[in-house]
Amino acid sequence: MLNWSGKLKSKWEIYKTLKEVVMRCTKQLGKLIGLASIIFLFYVALAHAGGEAAVKTTTSSHWWLWPIILFLFTFIIGIIAPMSGVGGGVLFVPLATAFFPFNVDFIRGTGLIMALTSALSSAPQFIKKGVANVKIMVPVVVVSIITSIVGGIVGLWITSAFPSGKYYITIALGLVLFLIFIVMITSKRVEYPEVESMDGLSQKLGLSSSWYEPTLEKIIEYKITRLPIGILCFAGVGFIAGMFGLGAGWANVPVLNLLMGAPIKVAVSTSMAIITVNDAAAAWIYLAKGAILPLIVVPSVIGITIGARIGAWLAVKTKPKFIKYLVLAIMLFAALLDIFKGLHGLGVV
Amino acid sequence: MSNKEVYIDPINTTFARVMEICTWIGLIVMLVFGVLYLFELNSYVSMSSVVSHWGLPASKFWEETKGVHINGYLFLHHLNTMDCLSLIGISLLALAPFFSLIGTLFRAKGIYFILILILLCEYIFAIIRPLIMAGGGE
Repeated sequence: MLNWSGKLKSKWEIYKTLKEVVMRCTKQLGKLIGLASIIFLFYVALAHAGGEAAVKTTTSSHWWLWPIILFLFTFIIGIIAPMSGVGGGVLFVPLATAFFPFNVDFIRGTGLIMALTSALSSAPQFIKKGVANVKIMVPVVVVSIITSIVGGIVGLWITSAFPSGKYYITIALGLVLFLIFIVMITSKRVEYPEVESMDGLSQKLGLSSSWYEPTLEKIIEYKITRLPIGILCFAGVGFIAGMFGLGAGWANVPVLNLLMGAPIKVAVSTSMAIITVNDAAAAWIYLAKGAILPLIVVPSVIGITIGARIGAWLAVKTKPKFIKYLVLAIMLFAALLDIFKGLHGLGVV
Repeated sequence: MSNKEVYIDPINTTFARVMEICTWIGLIVMLVFGVLYLFELNSYVSMSSVVSHWGLPASKFWEETKGVHINGYLFLHHLNTMDCLSLIGISLLALAPFFSLIGTLFRAKGIYFILILILLCEYIFAIIRPLIMAGGGE
């Protein structure tokens, strides 16, 4: 039996040693999950490459496999998304379009509900603390709610009105993914942007506020600027979100943070509040067109919710850089695959 | 200094509280009936049928599986089935911001009252549009 008293002189040292062991295990766990994700995604890719015939033979007779596959798929996405700083929907929609046999209508419907559920679950906490600001959200969504609805209508119209509509949407999705990829590698976040003067509209709407930041133990005050340009940007983002079923946090946050001067915490949380309104409005278009199937939505929402909780916990403990690079690589790969799949469907390649 | 010393606009607190309640109700309804549907309890579209046709566009899917031209909230007519009840949960989630905005309307003053009123009208339009216009441009 080891003589612990000789090596560890106090309870404090035992605590420190245990803490170190836990930290190491957590780091290893992060790496393992990352590796598992690669293997799983590779497996899905291989299964897809194996031919649609294989999928067809398993579909109707083994339907019960799909909720399990979807759960595992979204669970892994849920884990890696918070560690890389992207929303789950941004990974789900292009990957499911590239690898799964569902029509792009159902994938976009599911992506929208996943983004909506995630935003609804987290936004109220930030709004209650005053970090997310409803007063910034309201003038922005007055415009973006319309473009979000129009995006949903246009997206579903293209797939139903044109025989090759599904392929046009798949190509467009690939191009949007490229855009997201570029935004992710180029945009930098500013923790507390300095706003020298507010624009007239922001002043009239009283877009300045404050919140208590526990990490700094002080109240942070901020003000918003360039609201008219911001509203125009959100109009475009709303259209893309509605059309492709994406959460659009990837675009909302840079607009709020870098353009409108909101501190990063305010930008991230207000973006969630914006997503709740935009995606909820667009969801009605998908519900009315029968593009939301519980068989796909329910396991996906459960998977991403559980995965995101674990991912958020791991993101605090460890933030391995390779996860971010892995997600960027997956996005690039999915973009290329979506474009190829669309062009192949049109008979171009 | 604590969070209590920071002024939080009543618009924020009302919006958050209503949203939280609606989200919980919506999630519970969606998941409970969704899971029951996965256990093959009374369904409107059987799971094997869904899996056989989910490669088709949404409009074709409904024509093939149920022989209907979908244009509106079909699930509201079949509330004795688990999949349609699960969609009620999703509808409640999609209504959460709407109810939050209604709650906020009574707290808002001046320009915000007008903006929230406009938002509510837009929201109502989003909900009833499929019932009064041909959805999806068909």
